[in-house]
Amino acid sequence: MAVTSPLFNVLWDEYIIWSLIVGTFTFGWLYHHSFAYRSTEGEELPNVDEIKVGVFPKHNDDLRLEVAWTVLPFLLIIYLTYISWAPLDHVWAAPGSDTRGDECLLGESSNNIFYADTGFVNSECYHVIEITGQQWFWSFDCNPDLDEEFTTRDYNLSADLCAVSSQMVEGYGMQPVINLKAGETYLLVMESEDVTHAPWFLELSTKEDVLQNQKTTMWLPMTETGESLILCTEYCGDAHSLMAAVVSVHN
Amino acid sequence: MNREKIVSRTLVIFAILLIGMIAVPSATSLPNGVAGVKDSGCNCHGAVTSDSVIPTLEGLPEIYNYSEVYILNLGFTGGPSDPANINQGGFNLWVSDGTISPVDATVQSWNPNEVSHTDAGNDQTSWTMEWTAPANDRNVEFILHTNSVNGNAGSSEGGTSGDEWNRLSIQVSSPIVVLEQANPFTVLTTLIVVSFVLLLLVLTFIFYQNNPESFDWEHFAPWIAGWLTTTDHKRVGTLYFLAGFFFLGIGGIMAILIRIQLMVPGNDFLTQDQYNQFFTLHGTTMIFLAAMPLINGVANWMVPLQIGAPDLALPRLNAMSFWLQPVGAFLIFTGVFSGTGADTGWTGYAPYIVSETAHVGTTMWVAGQILLVASSTLTGINFLTTIAVMRAPGMGWMQMPLFTWSILVANLMLFLSIPAFGVGLIQVYLDRVIGTAFYDAASGGDPLLWSHLFWYFGHPEVYVVIVPAFGIISEVVATSARRSVFGYRSMVYAMAGIGIVSFIVYGHHMFTSGMDPTLRFVTMLTTMLVAVPTGIKIFNWLMTMNGGSLVYRTHTLWALGFLVTFTLGGISGMFFPSMAMDLHLHESYFVVAHFHYVLVGGTVFGLFCGVYYWFPKMTGKMLSEKLGVLHFLTAFITYNGLFWPMHRLGVVGMARRHHTYFISVDEVRGVNGEVITEAVVGALPPEVAGWNMFITISAILFFFSNFILIANVIISLIRGDKAPADPWGGWSFEWMTSSPPPTPSFGRFENGEWHDLPTLADANEHIAHEPSRFAIWFNKLMVADKEEVEN
Repeated sequence: MAVTSPLFNVLWDEYIIWSLIVGTFTFGWLYHHSFAYRSTEGEELPNVDEIKVGVFPKHNDDLRLEVAWTVLPFLLIIYLTYISWAPLDHVWAAPGSDTRGDECLLGESSNNIFYADTGFVNSECYHVIEITGQQWFWSFDCNPDLDEEFTTRDYNLSADLCAVSSQMVEGYGMQPVINLKAGETYLLVMESEDVTHAPWFLELSTKEDVLQNQKTTMWLPMTETGESLILCTEYCGDAHSLMAAVVSVHN
Repeated sequence: MNREKIVSRTLVIFAILLIGMIAVPSATSLPNGVAGVKDSGCNCHGAVTSDSVIPTLEGLPEIYNYSEVYILNLGFTGGPSDPANINQGGFNLWVSDGTISPVDATVQSWNPNEVSHTDAGNDQTSWTMEWTAPANDRNVEFILHTNSVNGNAGSSEGGTSGDEWNRLSIQVSSPIVVLEQANPFTVLTTLIVVSFVLLLLVLTFIFYQNNPESFDWEHFAPWIAGWLTTTDHKRVGTLYFLAGFFFLGIGGIMAILIRIQLMVPGNDFLTQDQYNQFFTLHGTTMIFLAAMPLINGVANWMVPLQIGAPDLALPRLNAMSFWLQPVGAFLIFTGVFSGTGADTGWTGYAPYIVSETAHVGTTMWVAGQILLVASSTLTGINFLTTIAVMRAPGMGWMQMPLFTWSILVANLMLFLSIPAFGVGLIQVYLDRVIGTAFYDAASGGDPLLWSHLFWYFGHPEVYVVIVPAFGIISEVVATSARRSVFGYRSMVYAMAGIGIVSFIVYGHHMFTSGMDPTLRFVTMLTTMLVAVPTGIKIFNWLMTMNGGSLVYRTHTLWALGFLVTFTLGGISGMFFPSMAMDLHLHESYFVVAHFHYVLVGGTVFGLFCGVYYWFPKMTGKMLSEKLGVLHFLTAFITYNGLFWPMHRLGVVGMARRHHTYFISVDEVRGVNGEVITEAVVGALPPEVAGWNMFITISAILFFFSNFILIANVIISLIRGDKAPADPWGGWSFEWMTSSPPPTPSFGRFENGEWHDLPTLADANEHIAHEPSRFAIWFNKLMVADKEEVEN
């Protein structure tokens, strides 16, 4: 899998372009003025603003310029907020929406559709699975016992759709593996047994906090095959750094 | 009793208290001790060890061979365990080096260094596993805890009652005898003590230089006592500088130790536990004990001078604000000296901060922080009062120098936000010490409350530390270019705007905590919008140089360097509010890169700029320009080498607050196609290792480059050129006074009134002394003097 998800890449590329434009403009201006307005040896000091100790100097302003660089950045920011809006809605789409559909019935598949221009992944339905965080390991459950609020499923997911295993990961030791199917979308319901944790699915570019006494959720729309590391990204104490897991996606 | 005697006795009592605090161990608040069974034992099953349980560990050599695999058999005899029971016992084996691997389902691995029994393995009294010796020379220690259970699981007293456990420690030597690896805490503590002693020696030396004829106790004691009891804003400012730079160095040492740990993948220079304490203390030290005091130092020195006031409004309160800082620092560092310092991160999230696995030093950390909250609140009140009522005649609100405006905005923000942090801290303190349940979800508390209280303070806090830097840069760029700042009014409104907006964006630290969707969007928008006033300021600074005559001094270089690094930090900050990107970047090294660019490249560079700019005024000596330029070049280049690559590391998946990381390795095959090194999946790209090494080297160079400034200061104090009243051509009042200024800074107090205070003239045409609309409104809030009421 690539290092970051396509959805991230689309936004990242746009932001980088604007960063380069703003950066070039600002640093070009800085570079130019640093050299163009250097004082020269033995010159007569112009003292345009009547600078004198104990005297508040003359105002140095230009309303048009100040309005310009208030309005133009404001417009850029509105634009950047606007292009971030749709991805925001997509990533936190509600169950039952057009993006995600309802929970899959027995035999149904999500039939994920990937849109390369935006990085969005739409699914017809989704499967509910669970991850639990505790100090200092993750555990997965393909067929969790959850309230109706999260799932009304009355069958077990097939091993093809979801299976839990473990694997030796270099440096981290034996870690749990969640085996999922490409083309399917999963709703990950999460809770913590003790303190706050957060699973970061690296190559899927997604994470959400897992909290004590409270369930949080996260979408896992799978499109590519491969393996990806999961790291804990909410500091939780001693073995926070070694609290890893693996998600393995197969066809 | 005369004053000197009282002061001397006070000093002696002070010294005894100080020594007492060092000698007495840190307060214990939780009975279960520190994290990890290895340190606390099986104390869910009983508070103390039992001699009737005898742990055994067989299969270990006296001296190991590199990378050899040893089969270990461990077990226990004694205690209430009985083969007839459903459960017989359990164990936890921890090793300092090498890796332990299970060979069957009765043993499970928590991490490469630690194994224990499984559910399937708790009805036996012996277990088998493998230990792979390290490939290098180490003094290896095994710590084994075995627990003999009486099999009453499910009984009314609880399954853990009636059990007995014991502990066994075995050392294994390496083929080549090695010295004990240095404990990083010992290293840090030694460096702190050595630095402090050096500081005292330097101060003593300065006293000697100034008074070579009278270098004796009768002259030294009043000199020290004068400094310890001063209320003069200039001296308090100097004390803040000393404390701030001292802790900047300490924080830097911690950063170097962290960077050494991260130099290579899978490093074990710091254990996880030590690393967690180090990054906690690094953050706490840098923000609360370095950045804030340094800003207060500049503010204490310059604000009364700039507004033409003889001192701050409440000088004794000012002294108290200062002294709360070292005392608070002492409490915070008590944990360090005991090896169980706070390990919660400087953000101290609940529920971890009130959980039993957080270190006992956390309680002291909380206590010290409460004192720092008090210090900052008092400082805020002091500066607000001073600026509101003690401005010189002719100085309306819109004639104040921009540095004073920045201190006003920063202190307003500070004392409106920091009490929320104080409330959260008090709640944590009560939770930890007397068992209240503010943050214990099981008892009805809400850990998210901490997040809100903390970030409601935390976000304005980071603007509190950057806004004074903005003020310094405004002064320096204008003076260097020999122009007045472009767009004075919009600079003021921009700072005020940043101050107000900063209170409504704190949710951006909580994007991944299950927020309401509407709030997510609102917070995204407001966070993006805060870039508008910041951008205005940057463009105004650039425009200030337009038509000017830029004189290049060290402070000019630092100001231009600030413009580069702060702009980069601001641009990288724009990636976070776009929430779909934040889901990837949150808690990654991209965050570390961003905030170090704005905090070090912004605040610290701004403070260095201020030091070079105002040093002649404060001390009456000029700093060496050559050393200053050398400092700037080395620091600027190494700083960028240090923090720029972190952006990339964050994007490719390196997480923050992780004591180590692992890289993937491609499969390596030999000539006959046999696998020599297996491919490692699931870890970070190989480039991560190279970049981390580069970052660590840059960090060490950056750390040492800043000693050029220290050397410059000391050399200049001893033999620098004499400084004139106005070496750079500034206009504000501080440049009217001598270098250093007299005490009181302006005027004289006679017959109950201040005389000879300066008056500000104005080169702009406007109707003098007519208050603006804001001033009219503000004056309505003022309490009338007695004479006015009588009239």
